[in-house]
Amino acid sequence: MSITLDQVTKRYQGSPVVNDVSLEVGEGEFYVLLGPSGSGKSTLLRAIAGLTGVDHGRIALHGNDVTHVSARQRGVGLVFQNYALFRHMTVGENIEFALKVRRMKAAERRERRKELLRLVALEGMDDRLPTQLSGGQQQRVAVARALAHKPPVLLLDEPFGALDAKIREELRRTIRQVQRELKITTVLVTHDQEEAFAMADRIGVMNLGRLLESGKPDELYARPATRFVATFLGAANLLLARQTEQGIRFGAAPVNARRVEKLEGGREQEVVAVLRPEEVELAPTRDNLRTNFIANGIVEELVFTGALERMRVRMADGAANAHIVTQANGSSAPAALLDVTRTQHEQRLFPVTLGQSVAIGVRRIHVLPTPLSSYTAYGSDQASCERLSQHPLLVELASRMKTRIIKREETPLVACDAPASAPVSGVAVIAAGPKTADQLQWLLQNGAGEVLVLPAHSASPQRVLIHWADDSARRSTLAVAASLLRHVAAEAVYVGILPEGSSGESQRPFGVRTLLDARSEAQAVHGLEMRTELRFGAAADELQRQLHDSQDPMLILGVSDPAQLRGTFGALFTSGASYPMMIVYRPSKDNSEGAAE
Amino acid sequence: MSFRQPSILPGFGLTLGFSTFFLSAIVLVPLAALVMKTATMGWSDFVRVVTDARALASYRLSFGASILAATLNSVFGFIIAWTLVRYEFPGRKLIDALIDMPFALPTAVSGIALTAVFAENGWIGQHLAPFGIKVAYTWIGVVVALTLIGLPFVVRSVQPAIAEVQRDLEDAAETLGAGRLTIFRRIVLPTVFPALATGFTLAFARAVGEYGSVIFIAGNLPMRTEITPLLIVIKLEQFDYKGAAALGFIMLTMSFVMLLSINLLQAWSRRRMVAAGR
Repeated sequence: MSITLDQVTKRYQGSPVVNDVSLEVGEGEFYVLLGPSGSGKSTLLRAIAGLTGVDHGRIALHGNDVTHVSARQRGVGLVFQNYALFRHMTVGENIEFALKVRRMKAAERRERRKELLRLVALEGMDDRLPTQLSGGQQQRVAVARALAHKPPVLLLDEPFGALDAKIREELRRTIRQVQRELKITTVLVTHDQEEAFAMADRIGVMNLGRLLESGKPDELYARPATRFVATFLGAANLLLARQTEQGIRFGAAPVNARRVEKLEGGREQEVVAVLRPEEVELAPTRDNLRTNFIANGIVEELVFTGALERMRVRMADGAANAHIVTQANGSSAPAALLDVTRTQHEQRLFPVTLGQSVAIGVRRIHVLPTPLSSYTAYGSDQASCERLSQHPLLVELASRMKTRIIKREETPLVACDAPASAPVSGVAVIAAGPKTADQLQWLLQNGAGEVLVLPAHSASPQRVLIHWADDSARRSTLAVAASLLRHVAAEAVYVGILPEGSSGESQRPFGVRTLLDARSEAQAVHGLEMRTELRFGAAADELQRQLHDSQDPMLILGVSDPAQLRGTFGALFTSGASYPMMIVYRPSKDNSEGAAE
Repeated sequence: MSFRQPSILPGFGLTLGFSTFFLSAIVLVPLAALVMKTATMGWSDFVRVVTDARALASYRLSFGASILAATLNSVFGFIIAWTLVRYEFPGRKLIDALIDMPFALPTAVSGIALTAVFAENGWIGQHLAPFGIKVAYTWIGVVVALTLIGLPFVVRSVQPAIAEVQRDLEDAAETLGAGRLTIFRRIVLPTVFPALATGFTLAFARAVGEYGSVIFIAGNLPMRTEITPLLIVIKLEQFDYKGAAALGFIMLTMSFVMLLSINLLQAWSRRRMVAAGR
């Protein structure tokens, strides 16, 4: 591997800007780090170059650990967005700078300079000053300069940011060509998904300091694991659906989508489905569709953009209507609008006009492997429901996950004696209080799998502690943790707890192995990087101690039996928690199936 | 033929006329008067006055101490400016404001203060005395005084130039394998040099003309710690106006030659940077 990052973390004023990033870039690979501004991608690049130190983790170049090696010794080739050419030196002097510093002979320097200028197609420009060149030419010089000393890797930090579209394209091609010719391992940082697709062998998407997903461009586009990646890599309709034994179901209509990965246990549950605009088929009636019907709709917006036709179709069927996941910020108005794009060919086969009713079908649908689909705020009366649904942390989570918050009034929540009026689906949310334990148990009995407990005042968490009561809750707790942590800038810590008195030599290796297993499972199955800590004592006490010592903590707790909430973890609920908690519940017998996979 | 170019100030004729008048009244006429006064004395008298041993010694002190002070200021002023621009620390604003103090202080006050501190029984002087270093009433004192009054010129000229050196340039040089010294010498210094030269020139010009602070700390021993401006004042007090004018003329000429050559050097070094309009 040319570049190996292992749990690299960089904090700025206490909060992580790069959060537990592990990554391997292969020999000669062109890797693109893609993310919105502030996602930590540039900081990560500077860390690889050695210009920024890391607070935790290891960095290796070609197998050599360089975590504590200076930028000067690492000698990577780095290209900046603003070129960073030395303005008082000519193009030739700029390119020769690294060679001169290394005391290379003048004749050899001249040779190398000529070769590099040819490579970036700037022959004969040796004696120009950078200020006499255009932006595109300056960036070519910067690339040549970065390559002069034959660096182990080439790093490009938004190299096209300051250039206009046409020059950008040309320079992209040049850089890709140079990279192929030299077979140099390259990492490029950008916020432009189109650029990432155009250049990358592999893309890594970053958000909030975390590397969310990494993979080949087409695979990431077709099968993203997270909402963020699904929507950041291109237009996507996010839909709430139910996964049943027959397949995916939007309201009444079951869709036999291919490639639906089996989630957990095979029990019916709410899931998030990604529907790309180009995978939608429109037809005059349901019978004309060649693909799976999902709903009827009315064309509400129609824009012709040359090669493609873009439109928005309002889904008309009641059930499907309610199941559209609202886009961020628009949580108040249920947008039942489906983004659709059609090629010229499709347009000719079935021309549509504004206001026309159509039947909607889908060619391909992708189900995200996230257990967190939507939030439902539970309260015993309307006021408490309303208050809970306005909770800043809940609003933040929902908007980051691009999902919605439903309000549900349940009077049995007061006494917890009668069954709920409808089965609980998605994540249930309740306010923390003296009756939290009773309410949790009641929700779990009524079908809830995940319950979020929010105290009245809680900041965005900085440190998320993860713990599960026994192994049968492990898998689902990790899945929830991975999904949640992709949307908050917090560090994840798994707390493994062994009973008091087991700290003897015989038990310790067992404890450590539990931690390693947990970490590698989180990494391999859920793409979650987390730290681990081993404690000895009573679970509730140890957790409470840890939570007390952390700044803005949050707890993710997995149980396999509702009784554990009163028993083992009772102490956590007696004094009305002051931190947010996510309770994950999977009954142990259902889980035997999942564990067998 | 026309020199006219669009401008926000009204009328080329008016502004040029005003500039000429202003420059004449404030600078050229007094200087011309000085030259004419000098011209009224005979050539042999002129040569005798300006090559007098005491006068020669004063030139050496005045210009030598000024160059030395301006050089010291260039080094330490650069370091101070660097610290102020590059680092955030408590009291930074306060130090930044203190830099301007020598501008505002009456020079006599700073002269007296320096004398008190550097005299053999002063706070600093008493610690230097055991080493045989005397500051007050020697040429060293002159340099100290001139350094004090010249410091803000260097700091204020260099500060904006340092702020302009992009961190990216240093980062780039570092990844290319340059050590700190190389980065400073090859990247930072060339960028800041024109501003540093300006600061040097201003500090030097100010030092040559300084009178108030020096006369207190110099002790004014003829042939040893007497600066040229003081010699001029002495001549005036003896009603030797022609002799004073002659010395003034020599100072004027030497200063002009030195400032001109520094400016030329600066223009030469800046040409590369500014050539393409940046």
